[in-house]
Amino acid sequence: MNHFDEMTMLLYLEGQLDAERAREVSTHAATCAECRELLRALQTEETWLRESLRAEDESVPAHLIAAPERGGVPWGWLTAFGFALGGAYTVWSGFIEPWRAQAAQAGFEQGNVLTMIFFSGAFWKGWDAMRTLTEFLAVATLGMAGMWLLRRHWRHTAAIAFVMAAMACALALPSVAMAAETHHGDPDYALAAGEEVKTDLIVAAGVTHVDGQVDGDLIVFSRSVEVNGHIKGDILGFAEEMRVNGPVDGNIRAACHSLTIDSYVAKNLMTWSEEVELKQKAEVGGTITIGADSFDLDGKGAGDLAAFVGNLQINGTLGHDATIRGDRIKIGPHAEIAGNTKVVSDRPVDTAAGAKLGSPIQFSRPEHGPKYNSARYYWHQALGWGASFFFGFVLLLIAPAFFDKVRGACQKALPAMGFGALALIVTPIAAIVVSITIVGLGVGISTVLLYLIAIYSAQVFVGSWIGEKILGSGVGLGAALGRLALGLAIVRAIEIVPVAGNIWIPIMWIWGLGALVMTAHRLIRPAPAAAMA
Amino acid sequence: MMERRKTTGDMSAAELAEVLSQVRAGDADAWGELYRQYAPAIFRFCRRALPTREDAEDATTEIFVKVRQKLGMYDASRPFTAWLYKVASNHCWDTLRRRRIRQDLETGEVETLPLEHPEPSQLERLQTEHTSKEVRAALARLPDRARMALVLRYFAEMSYDEIAETLGVRRAFVGVLLLRARHSLRDALGGETAERHSAAGGKT
Repeated sequence: MNHFDEMTMLLYLEGQLDAERAREVSTHAATCAECRELLRALQTEETWLRESLRAEDESVPAHLIAAPERGGVPWGWLTAFGFALGGAYTVWSGFIEPWRAQAAQAGFEQGNVLTMIFFSGAFWKGWDAMRTLTEFLAVATLGMAGMWLLRRHWRHTAAIAFVMAAMACALALPSVAMAAETHHGDPDYALAAGEEVKTDLIVAAGVTHVDGQVDGDLIVFSRSVEVNGHIKGDILGFAEEMRVNGPVDGNIRAACHSLTIDSYVAKNLMTWSEEVELKQKAEVGGTITIGADSFDLDGKGAGDLAAFVGNLQINGTLGHDATIRGDRIKIGPHAEIAGNTKVVSDRPVDTAAGAKLGSPIQFSRPEHGPKYNSARYYWHQALGWGASFFFGFVLLLIAPAFFDKVRGACQKALPAMGFGALALIVTPIAAIVVSITIVGLGVGISTVLLYLIAIYSAQVFVGSWIGEKILGSGVGLGAALGRLALGLAIVRAIEIVPVAGNIWIPIMWIWGLGALVMTAHRLIRPAPAAAMA
Repeated sequence: MMERRKTTGDMSAAELAEVLSQVRAGDADAWGELYRQYAPAIFRFCRRALPTREDAEDATTEIFVKVRQKLGMYDASRPFTAWLYKVASNHCWDTLRRRRIRQDLETGEVETLPLEHPEPSQLERLQTEHTSKEVRAALARLPDRARMALVLRYFAEMSYDEIAETLGVRRAFVGVLLLRARHSLRDALGGETAERHSAAGGKT
């Protein structure tokens, strides 16, 4: 009988041969001394290898055992986060702020209301305060990063607690310094006529009546708001129904279901509401910027009008230009527009005979679909890429493991898409059911918000997965960011391809969403098992 | 398993499960405990898998960063050390692959050059003549993949399937890798027994 080769013997010793072959070897070895000897030699070599490798006769560096945090995640991502905040601040003060100032000077001539709302900080009171807060946060985060670095030398949790407490105090100070009167309605709030609030007034109530005077800003969260008194600052309102009958010396910024103004507003009006009505006595000293389903303008506007509306009726006076994008636009017999009127609509404008217009209406139909030959379109795509990259970056910093898992889950494309399609359809239905039943509107709205965020993040995960396929699975934040950047660029490039893009987007949504759902499900499930083990 | 327990401290299964659940809950002390318990073993693993001591130190800290991130993925029904070595080996292999100059067999092709059968007596002499330290020094001189294969099999006690997955080779190739690695190690230790004779094939 033939001898066996060394390979076969090794596999035999390691238990890697199938039963029949193994039997052949042992039968042969029983009769062949030569092979038996070699087998034994290989066996002892294996034992000797194990012993040599497993021998613990070298020292383990002390710092490895003593300092588990060295090179650990926390300070890494805390520093990164601090830098990100610092960077955000730089971008804000160096780029957005000057741009905003310019835009304000130019009187909001940009057509994109949404961009304006986001970048002009329409709904925020005092970006200056926000800026200092951001600045403070950046510094605080860096401080915390420093503390993590020093933690090894500190060791005493008491010292850390002391510093944390000091920081908390420092953080709390500015808010104490900001003077404002705050009221929680019980359930309603009323400021009677003749009464006066010397500072800002912040109200959260069911029904709010302000008949007295407010020297500062009025910030109100309420189901129904009626203002009859004099407001010397701005009105910032979130309400179902809001009526302003008293004079306002500042701006009105409101997000409401219905907003009615019948008084003098010295500065600008900006609102994002379902129905807006400027009655005959209403007069806005500055610009009017509106996003609404229906807007009736019977009063006066001294500055420009920028409107993004479904139904628009103008029967009042406009001192400047009007830029309108809408569906049904009606210019009544008493309307007066001193400047140019630009309209973008699918339907022709219904202009009454008596209307006085400074110049003929510049009418154009909206262009549907992307404008492939405009540079601006590509600039917007680039901005969109940047935004999604930043989103992914933050996600990566906050939950690297989760991010990794979801990206890994994208590998199982088909099941992911199945789950994704299900989640895409079922979640809104569930949210509606939740909203109209006893569970409540709050839960419903947060579900929808999370759902939208999840859909948005789908591209980040799918992109990251694609990036990994191309760039390989290198480790570290840098590699992960590289994958993310490249993947997102590819994903977004496919999106702008005419027909394929429209097919790709829903596929990507259900794919990424499915991966997210699968991972979340897996994360929630093994938890009790691990706790029991 | 018994051998592995020796190198990784003396935490009982119940203690380990307790510590793991505390770490998952974000307990920094539990993490420190886990780290102290397993860092030496992982360092030793890296020390063998990677060519220099500095590499091994860096890799150890990096691996624990990963372990902390990926702890949620650990399946509690399987041995923790096996999972730990899996993470460590993937990391080390990634590290090596990234810096490797394409000189050795990346493609996973089987070498056709036949190996000479070793002489049992010479094999035994090699074993008695060299200390563990010398063996490990020789190991460090081997090509990355050969060294990795030996470490994964005889230190981390991985199965052929796990080794194939880690090194990205076909399962059937793992045996060949191990055999060639053992020959290279014998060569490196200066054994004439494994000297190559291109003419002489194995006895079949």
